[in-house]
Amino acid sequence: MIEFLAIPGVILIVGALILPFIPEKLRSSVFLLFPLASLYVVFTTATGYSFSMDFLSYRLHVMEVDKLSRVFGIIFSITAFVAGVYAHHIKDLGQQVNALVYAGSALGVTFAGDLLTLIIFWELMAVSSTWLIWARRTKESDGAGMRYLIYHVLGGGLLLGGIIWHYADTGSLAVETLSQNYTIANVLMLVGVCVNAAVIPLHTWLADAYPKATITGAVFMSAFTTKSAVYVLIRVFPGWELLTWFGAAMAIYGVVYAVICKDIREILAYHIISQVGFMVCGIGIGTEMALNGATAHAYSHILYKSLLFMGTGAVLYATGTSKIVNLGGLFKKMPYTFGLYMVGALSISGIPLFNGYISKSMTISAAGYAHMEGAQLMLLLASVGTFLSVGLKLPWFTWFGKKENDIEVRKLPVNMYIAMSIAAFACIFYGLFPNTLYAYLPFDTKYDPFTIYHFVETMQISAMTLAGFWLLKKKLGGELIIALDVDWFYRKAAPATRLVFVTWIDNFYDRVEDGVLAIAGFLTEKFKNPMTWLNPFTDRKNKADGYSPAMDVVMSFIMLTFVVIAILYIL
Amino acid sequence: MNWNKAIWTTVTVIILITLGLEFTYLSDYDSHWWNHIPAFYAIYGFLCCLAIIYFAKFLAKNIVNRDIHYYD
Repeated sequence: MIEFLAIPGVILIVGALILPFIPEKLRSSVFLLFPLASLYVVFTTATGYSFSMDFLSYRLHVMEVDKLSRVFGIIFSITAFVAGVYAHHIKDLGQQVNALVYAGSALGVTFAGDLLTLIIFWELMAVSSTWLIWARRTKESDGAGMRYLIYHVLGGGLLLGGIIWHYADTGSLAVETLSQNYTIANVLMLVGVCVNAAVIPLHTWLADAYPKATITGAVFMSAFTTKSAVYVLIRVFPGWELLTWFGAAMAIYGVVYAVICKDIREILAYHIISQVGFMVCGIGIGTEMALNGATAHAYSHILYKSLLFMGTGAVLYATGTSKIVNLGGLFKKMPYTFGLYMVGALSISGIPLFNGYISKSMTISAAGYAHMEGAQLMLLLASVGTFLSVGLKLPWFTWFGKKENDIEVRKLPVNMYIAMSIAAFACIFYGLFPNTLYAYLPFDTKYDPFTIYHFVETMQISAMTLAGFWLLKKKLGGELIIALDVDWFYRKAAPATRLVFVTWIDNFYDRVEDGVLAIAGFLTEKFKNPMTWLNPFTDRKNKADGYSPAMDVVMSFIMLTFVVIAILYIL
Repeated sequence: MNWNKAIWTTVTVIILITLGLEFTYLSDYDSHWWNHIPAFYAIYGFLCCLAIIYFAKFLAKNIVNRDIHYYD
């Protein structure tokens, strides 16, 4: 029992059950204890540890620790803590409980040793994160939350279908590496996981929902859903070639939309797709170095992306808007937020001495070492777009761009600054001491990011991106718009779907009902007194409610027969 | 603050330093086909930047941009 309660995911979920009984004043502080406890467990549990229990007729491996699951467990616990600090001022119990369940189920997925445990936590993750969207309580968030939930229920369904098929084929429920073989079971599982990893064209839920989630909810969401899917991809589908090209395409797709979008949180949401593309590409390449790169990049990404979402969330909190057309000129009013945001922005852009540099260059180099030069150049193109959209466009149009901005700026709670500072510190720390991260990576490969070659490569690209941005920056601002994406197919199709599956079916049932009633009416009328139409020599009309002596005689005769038979039987 | 001056100085300084490093310390000229092109990453970075901006602008104008109430 103690062992079951000491599973990181379970710690957080049990925490979520305890939280409602804590007085409101202490609740946010108690929240933080659970991620810390989970972090402690992750650090102190040796690799190779396994805990299993019986469930129905299955033996479930609820927790299995190896280097890969441990590094994800560490970063998930850290982020849950940092995001908890960021949300410390929140008094909304629903959000707090669901955030804990969400983080807990992401940890549950990470340490799951069998597919059944995995799918249970997987679905729990979908449901609890939906709450963080709905908690914004706007019309937009209601719709986006519903679309998000439907998408994830579909993805979870595909994954579950794949798992059942896989079990029927192989008799194994273990979470293990599958060799590249496009059987139906494998494809179902792959597509199910790809929904959560936001692989194009299954990515629209992300860009739709994240900008509409609550300020603090988006910080949690930026970390868990896509990265737990990346973890499963690394574990189950490494070296699946298709992923290389989907990943590289995602990396570019995301940044192009990030350049188009005019809402700061939407820019970041699209940019997650691009960043996950780097990881998915690395997983597709599948060499030890590429998988290390994908893992390291997931680790770094969670840190700086949550920092960026915290920064933009702070702007939204302070000004009440996230549209770049209303922002600009905020530097004097929010200088610290700008500074902390820029740490995240320089990290994500892979500038040396920040943590993006140590992981992004690893993934790109892995593509180079594997002689996939096409993929390598695509990823470099995506890095240009990253610096352009998140590192230059977003901060320029938020903090500069205008001379003055008379928008009213609310004071930020101190805990927001603390959370951003912790994340910023981590970004710089790992950027300066990459070996503190490399030591936890799943494979032992030597890699040194601080070479002159990488420095020259990164700095030349970044400097010329800056030059390009400066020349063309006027093209990047503008009014808020909706950028159509493949969600058009289901959002615009909604009326058509409703017509086919609701209106037409309703109409069909209506017709059938009318028909049945008409037939019943017709038969009642005809058989009330069949003599009216059996006997052609009468002109009596048959009325349904009219009195008919002939029928009475028949009925009485039948009744009498019954009575006579009954009496004979008794005698 | 004179942004123009600051930006162009930064760009020039970085490019000069990295070009200096490229021609003095770097000996990797053959691991990829592009390694023998001098200042390749600077040229590539600049072209990519322009390409992304113009491509995004083209997409936005002709295909994807809609009024904010499009889905209402």
